[in-house]
Amino acid sequence: MTVENILKDILCDILDIDLSDIEPETYLIRDLDAESIDLLELAVNINQQFNTSVNEDDLFLRKLRFYLEEAEERGIEKNSYLKNKYPFLPNDRIMEILDDIEKGPVLKMKDLIHYVTRQN
Amino acid sequence: MTTRRVAITGTGSITPIGSTDDHIISFLKAGQPCFETFVSHSDTVVCPVKNFDLIQYTGKFKHRRYLNRGASLSVAAAMMAVKDAHIDNGLLDNAGLFTGAGPNLDMGNEFPEIINHQVNWEAIQALWILKFLPNTAASTIAQLTGIHGECTTVGTACAASLQAIGDAFRKIKDGYLDIALAGGGDSRLSSGAMMAYKKARSIYVGSDHPNQVCRPFDQNRKGFVSGEGAAFFILEDYEHAKKRGAEIKAEILGFGASMDGYRMTDPHPDGLYAQRAVVQAINDAKIHPDDIDLISSHGTGTQLNDKMEAELIHRLFNRRHQPFVIALKSWIGHLSAACGAVELSVCMACIKHDYIPEIRNLNDPCHMSVNFVVSPKSCRFNTVLLENFGFGGQNCAIIFRG
Repeated sequence: MTVENILKDILCDILDIDLSDIEPETYLIRDLDAESIDLLELAVNINQQFNTSVNEDDLFLRKLRFYLEEAEERGIEKNSYLKNKYPFLPNDRIMEILDDIEKGPVLKMKDLIHYVTRQN
Repeated sequence: MTTRRVAITGTGSITPIGSTDDHIISFLKAGQPCFETFVSHSDTVVCPVKNFDLIQYTGKFKHRRYLNRGASLSVAAAMMAVKDAHIDNGLLDNAGLFTGAGPNLDMGNEFPEIINHQVNWEAIQALWILKFLPNTAASTIAQLTGIHGECTTVGTACAASLQAIGDAFRKIKDGYLDIALAGGGDSRLSSGAMMAYKKARSIYVGSDHPNQVCRPFDQNRKGFVSGEGAAFFILEDYEHAKKRGAEIKAEILGFGASMDGYRMTDPHPDGLYAQRAVVQAINDAKIHPDDIDLISSHGTGTQLNDKMEAELIHRLFNRRHQPFVIALKSWIGHLSAACGAVELSVCMACIKHDYIPEIRNLNDPCHMSVNFVVSPKSCRFNTVLLENFGFGGQNCAIIFRG
């Protein structure tokens, strides 16, 4: 099983949805209505399934807005600041996030895949 | 101010003998209950609900995973009751919710491995706690039905669901609410619960034929048998129900409750406080004891309850007109916190079908002057007293009319 398939199975179980509801581009919060307890369950399950110990703040991009403010205060370029904070995210994804951030929570399925793939 | 009347305008039940009035009655008439030897304790007997799947009642929703079996049964029955009452969500916004619930005793399945007091916490869900909080069923029901009014979860052991219904009845009668969803669900068919009951010496233990071991009011009764299930009801101010054109399925006339304050598990042998609850219900209903056609007894099949209850019935109803006395636990087992609600729903089915089921396995009655129903009867009856007496000395009684 690929990382993507395992993560899909976990999400289907936690959110009681079908496999076809989840693609790499699916937003967890905007599309799937995941709430804080669902993310808690997700972290617990990822830890179990991949025998790892995730940093939930990183995995769920929780401090994203805080980092952006921090970058602005310090006069650092946002793109490289985020790249430094989220080394598991590819450059194009960081550009995408910066474009998208005004529209709501940005967390996507593919962010989880990137995180877990890099950890493994 | 005129006293408000309280109608039942919707019912939903999941019982070991079926989920609709027709199923329940045909099951009672067939006379073959489905008690069976419990898989993990072969010297105990249980009465399970077969083929239950919550998703059939709710569709997919992500919080199913946090419901223990009793809570799942509750949620399903609550959804049925709302559907049955043909009530729209706008009306439920102000409705109250009163739920009887019991503890989750499924130690074998719900607990992670514990070795030398070291718990394997990795193996459990992040919100594992929800499977043990008593109001998880209520929280889920509210999310699914859109109920936002007063909500109480009642944890008074085997009196819980009847007390939840009684509380809802009073809140409507006294004008605090126009509509309430009330009832309860429970399941103790787990290795942990059986162990606990065996240790407490309250459950039947032996190897007789499963359908013959639950024998309320029989001299040879040897303890109760565990069942599982749930029932919920939409209770509604009578005029409110009339105005919206709802079908009035029954009317609750009176409620009474009391506490023995005596022992942890034994009922008070003189039944003084159980009697207080029953008398309170009769007075609340403003009826005469002669008006009661039938008593649906708590009738557990334990030595202590049945002796106390038979004597109580004899004291209060020892007159020319003696109400019929039935014991539904001989058909469905003891549903613990859910027993009162499910017994109410079975009684309503019986009233509708003019049918009074016999007390099963009652060959040698423990009291000679009580009108125990020993063979089935087809006859009209209307006014019912329903009694439940729980562990800890919890007593309650409801009077209703079909």
